[in-house]
Amino acid sequence: MNRNRSSRQQILERVGAATQAAAPAAAQLAEAYAELPREYRRRGAMGAEAHVALMIERLREYDAEVVECAPGEVAEAIAAQLAASGKRKFVAPAGLPARWMAPGFEWMVDNDLPASAIEEAEGVVTAAFGGVAESGTIVLHHGPAEGRRVLTLLPDWHLCVLGASQVVETLPEYFARCEEAPQVVTWISGPSATADIEMTRIKGVHGPRFLHVIVVRDEGREGNSN
Amino acid sequence: MSETANLAGERPVLDPALAPPFPQAALPVLRNPQLRKNVTHAIDVIQGKRARLVAEKDDWQALRAAGAAMKDHVLENLGAYLEEFEAKCTAAGGQVHWAADAGEARAIILDILRAEQAREVIKIKTMTSAEIQLNPFLEAAGVGVFETDLAEIILQLGEGEPSHIVVPALHVNRSQVREIFARKMGLPELSDDPKALTAAARSYLRRKFLTIPTAIGGANFLIAETGGVAVVESEGNGRMCLTLPRTLITLAGIEKVLPRFADLEVMLQVLARSATGERMNPYTSLWTGVKAGDGPERFHVVLLDNGRSRILARHTERQTLRCIRCAACMNACPVYRQTGGHAYGSVYPGPIGAILTPQLEEMRHAQSLPYASSLCGACYEVCPVKINIPEVLLELRAQVVDQERKQAGRIFDPMYIGLRIANVIFARAWLFHLAQRLGRMGLGLFTRKDGWIHALPSVGAEWTQTRDLRGLPKQTFHEWWAARQKEAR
Repeated sequence: MNRNRSSRQQILERVGAATQAAAPAAAQLAEAYAELPREYRRRGAMGAEAHVALMIERLREYDAEVVECAPGEVAEAIAAQLAASGKRKFVAPAGLPARWMAPGFEWMVDNDLPASAIEEAEGVVTAAFGGVAESGTIVLHHGPAEGRRVLTLLPDWHLCVLGASQVVETLPEYFARCEEAPQVVTWISGPSATADIEMTRIKGVHGPRFLHVIVVRDEGREGNSN
Repeated sequence: MSETANLAGERPVLDPALAPPFPQAALPVLRNPQLRKNVTHAIDVIQGKRARLVAEKDDWQALRAAGAAMKDHVLENLGAYLEEFEAKCTAAGGQVHWAADAGEARAIILDILRAEQAREVIKIKTMTSAEIQLNPFLEAAGVGVFETDLAEIILQLGEGEPSHIVVPALHVNRSQVREIFARKMGLPELSDDPKALTAAARSYLRRKFLTIPTAIGGANFLIAETGGVAVVESEGNGRMCLTLPRTLITLAGIEKVLPRFADLEVMLQVLARSATGERMNPYTSLWTGVKAGDGPERFHVVLLDNGRSRILARHTERQTLRCIRCAACMNACPVYRQTGGHAYGSVYPGPIGAILTPQLEEMRHAQSLPYASSLCGACYEVCPVKINIPEVLLELRAQVVDQERKQAGRIFDPMYIGLRIANVIFARAWLFHLAQRLGRMGLGLFTRKDGWIHALPSVGAEWTQTRDLRGLPKQTFHEWWAARQKEAR
């Protein structure tokens, strides 16, 4: 520990000597930060409908299976996807709406399930925090309906329910929507993949090999983004 | 053990202190057509994808400018941001360690593993751990190390060395991978279909992910504002290592810090596009300290200096520390394309390696690397954080020359004698004209009918061994001009 503390001092001294003589005051630092150039595109130019369509297109390019449904039809849409999967045993985050757990399947609710139990599940159903259309990215902040990180990792099949109003066009718009920085985040852009052998893209290495997305149309709003 | 199977047949040396100079280290690849084919194929694929995706971003240059400015801002205020990161990470339940050099980082990591009584670790691919040569150290200390990235498994099981920082096994083809996996995983029936090979790796690792309680990884970004750490990956092996173990150790260079969470909006847009030619890589994970019930119970960050603060102190070279390890520079480099990564004698190959390695070695080793470039500037053009690599290469070349000048015995080096003589001649017109005449007479003896010199004796042979030299023209421009003026009159 002692050795470590002196290394800390040593590194900070070297860094200090290499940069400014005196450490900047917090206000000065914030001011310099605020002046950083940000000329890149921060707001999307498409309407909401167009960027939801783009999101769906991108997801399909990743070989994700995408269906759309009306707000009142989520449970039915989930049941249909589960039935078509041919799988029986599913795991659900502790906060997943009960009506999403379609009857006729075996459900394990994640109240601190051990990894070995989650490993037994053939699939998982979750909600999402948001989506970024430009890159087809699904964002999980791992809230109660999105599940702990391990939940969307071990099962081979992931069904994610994404509201159209949760989708933004650009990555900066997603960051603008985060009121405070989340403690854990997973950004998912298509199923697990590798190109390590001769650059041949292979789907499904360790994470889920199959990604299904239900996009819930937003009936309340038309046309306009945000 | 069959010949083709073992990648270690001619195991390249990636320790800059021991590696032969670049021109010598490049020879095994230049003489191996299969290896060159593997490298070119992989690079062509990534380059094509990158070019397409960069072209669709009409704000690409603005993103580069923002990324470069953000990194410069961090570097200028590095101490403040590191302390902020440390405070926030600690408050969130992480434990921050500081390592001045590679040896200290290795000792800190081993101490943590001893305290955990860890006899095995799973690893996420991290260049920084390769930089401090962590794996051989841990293995010598009796800790079993399991790499989990597909390319890293290929290299670990095949006893090979990485030749690229994003796709480290790009020099290995599918039949070589098949042979390694069949032998090391005991799967004699395995086919060489990449799909089957990937599936073999998946089941080989599954048990390890579920049973080994300690993981070591790196960081793509550290967030000062929150104490968060971000890791960018494709396969999900990273998520496994970040989520399943009880204890997680992150090793990160001190230059990895970003001011705020939202700054990822720039970096995540440029990184995957530059690295793999994807709009976004399949998985990016961010975590902050320890989250009860979700992921590791104990989390350590080791902040590594290992020469970085020295680079920070230098005006031209500081930009080296902007690097986000995307490898776009090596994919674009005409030299890397021919030699592959092993020639650079370092875990950091390509143009970025040519400037980073000698600096990390305090210019005591790897002095041939600043010359491993034609200065064409392709690396600068593709760099997402606008590192002017040619500029740094020139600065480092100047330092190498200064070093050489101080060496006794250099005075008798034919090149130095030649340059000194040239210096005298070029400064005086009459001597220059005389030299031209003598040169024409002398070289005339070796110039063939086709106007080219194919072979020169003695020191001249060093040039003609690998290229032809145009014979001197019968007339210089001055002579031609004088003759023309005379005729006109």
